[in-house]
Amino acid sequence: MKRGLSLQAALAAYRPDAELAPLPEQIDPDRLLSFFHPDHLRDSVTTLTVGPNAGAHCQRELADLLQAEAVIDEVDLAGVPVTDTDVLVIGGGGAGCAAALAAAEHGARVLLATKLRLGDSNTVMAEGGIQAAIEPGDSAQKHMQDTLRAGHHAGDPALVAAMVGDGPEVIHWLIRQGMQFDQTDSGDLHTRRAGGTSAPRIVHCRDYTGLEMMRVLREAVAQHRGIEVWDQHPAVELLSNERGQKCVGAVLSSLADRSLRIVRTRSVILATGGLGRLHLNGFPTSNHLGATGDGLVLAYRMGARLCELDSFQYHPTGLVNPPYLSGKLVTEGIRAAGALLLNAQGQRFVDELQPRDIVCAAIIRECREGRGIHPDVGGVGVWLDTPRLERSQPGLLERQFPKLLARTRVAGIDPRSEPILVYPTLHYQNGGAVIDVDGATTVPGLYAAGEVAGGIHGRNRIMGNALLEIIGFGRRAGIAAALSGHDRGPKKITLEHVNRARRALALAGLPLARRAPQVLPPYAAMGKDS
Amino acid sequence: MTDSATPGGGTVELVIDGVAVRAEPHMTIVEAAWAGGVPRVTGVGCLEGVCGSCRILLRHGPDVSVALACETFAEQGIEALFLPAPTAVRHQYELTDFTDGWDIQARFKEIFPEASRCRHCHGCVRSCPKGIVVEEGIALAAAGRFREAGEAFLECVMCELCDTACPEQIAPAHVGLFCRRITAFFHLRPPNLIHRLEELRQEPFSSAGEKESS
Repeated sequence: MKRGLSLQAALAAYRPDAELAPLPEQIDPDRLLSFFHPDHLRDSVTTLTVGPNAGAHCQRELADLLQAEAVIDEVDLAGVPVTDTDVLVIGGGGAGCAAALAAAEHGARVLLATKLRLGDSNTVMAEGGIQAAIEPGDSAQKHMQDTLRAGHHAGDPALVAAMVGDGPEVIHWLIRQGMQFDQTDSGDLHTRRAGGTSAPRIVHCRDYTGLEMMRVLREAVAQHRGIEVWDQHPAVELLSNERGQKCVGAVLSSLADRSLRIVRTRSVILATGGLGRLHLNGFPTSNHLGATGDGLVLAYRMGARLCELDSFQYHPTGLVNPPYLSGKLVTEGIRAAGALLLNAQGQRFVDELQPRDIVCAAIIRECREGRGIHPDVGGVGVWLDTPRLERSQPGLLERQFPKLLARTRVAGIDPRSEPILVYPTLHYQNGGAVIDVDGATTVPGLYAAGEVAGGIHGRNRIMGNALLEIIGFGRRAGIAAALSGHDRGPKKITLEHVNRARRALALAGLPLARRAPQVLPPYAAMGKDS
Repeated sequence: MTDSATPGGGTVELVIDGVAVRAEPHMTIVEAAWAGGVPRVTGVGCLEGVCGSCRILLRHGPDVSVALACETFAEQGIEALFLPAPTAVRHQYELTDFTDGWDIQARFKEIFPEASRCRHCHGCVRSCPKGIVVEEGIALAAAGRFREAGEAFLECVMCELCDTACPEQIAPAHVGLFCRRITAFFHLRPPNLIHRLEELRQEPFSSAGEKESS
């Protein structure tokens, strides 16, 4: 039986000028998280039995892929054409493009291979903005404290220091690539305050920050004479030296006809993004179609250590309906601008600018305890009170959130007069491959940048740090990969690491039937080759 | 995906890439293609209308148009054909080649000579899934008004359907992006950012936690 209110009843009862009771007293955040955050759902976490993280906790759906057999074998590589390059970048989102540009600026020949089209990524969908401590009352030190605190002090302070220190220079570099940001009347960069932060620090381009960043970087990469791009060529395996201890290339597979190509290189940069399309715990996702966790799978089989595999970010405000937009994002920027969250009783239940994991858990609590709103087609959610925001700041939505209006217009909703139904959506992989300040993983020759890398955000990321990380660490990895020394001795390319992983699976008695990486979610791969 | 359609109507029949598909009307063309098992649908990315990958040709009786499949809904009797990805960039430039802001108009005419040959056929405007006033934007660019031209292309997702439609091969999406980039490159000089960069130049950020690196 459904508790709470139907969408119609809730809409009928809604008034943008209704008096709001004061915020109820909040329970202890740790209790709230342990009862209601999806990371803590029963049976959602398991323990890894093989590989560099054996014994560590890991989300079940991801563990199945990390402990799976490779999709190719040595026999598949006979007669496969080989391409040589200095640096291979796997992934064509923001981190991949930043890495490719930085490597090329430092004299490397770069090949960028991407699963879909160059720029098809989570970056292009990012709305809210990018963090950089540039306001007079702000500092890199404060940015660092906010990042570590919101991540429950699980982040690596050295990585966080590197990221926040890069902040202003990252914005400068982006402007030099031709990226625009919103300005105040006096020409300063306009800033907003993100949830869980102590100062306004988000710079942005309306609510199209990711689109603006991605189209600029895509054009810069496509125009660069030192970078070659292969669209629709996902990596299906890495290549190792004869001892299986150094990464020396990768095997790519054409999405169009599944033909294989070998790329031999001195450094590989993984910039493959996250895994929202695994739909952990059955959640919808804000992620693009290719976000299937391939990079984690490839890195783990190669022997790279990963971290925080049991910690994922569920963005508090995903759309609930219409169904085709289920899980798609409403930017946190709108809460930063003052929008409130209301339950079915029309009351506030959480400080909207708490860190994302807290707000997410609070929304789930409201819905589970019968204060949610139910549309006809399924799902449940709470109100994001956009009409009240519009009343207090007329014209704000149109000026600063054109993307939200464009998307809801297609769906026949006007957020200026009707509140938006929202529920948490699987958004971001907090952890990933362990890296150092140069983006180097624990495997020689293998770098990681962006969402696939871990250690920065701890167990919860704050808004705007993802776009900062992808550029800052993308550039660090690109520079380090370009400058890494030439390899002397024989250049043998093998699948020794695959053989080693298979032996470990067999010894542990794990099934060898499952294969990974997945490349595309099952519902999208349907009928692909028929 | 639901297992089957509601019995007795409610569903629509359409053709996607030559394959007859039955779908529910609230489904997008992408969802209908997946549910109907249409092979080799590779041009799909964000599923929310910002990556510009899922370009389709749409036939609606005698009317032919273009659209993005993730924002177009299944309808009775329509035919959709997924288009290949846009061709490689034809207009070569790197922003670092620009040293003098007074040269931009001249350089623009060298890089995009077609932009001043617009025939006002409105093909670009009709093909734009984002409702951008493409033709006006091109006219502004050709007149050297790069900031205003770029602003017209704010919502451009680089699907390049306008390029496909243009008989003069102006590549309007790339013109729009050029205008935005050149504006940022030469004119975005925010005092608050510059001040912080200068502070950091004099005293770089270091924290107790940061390792020595180079």
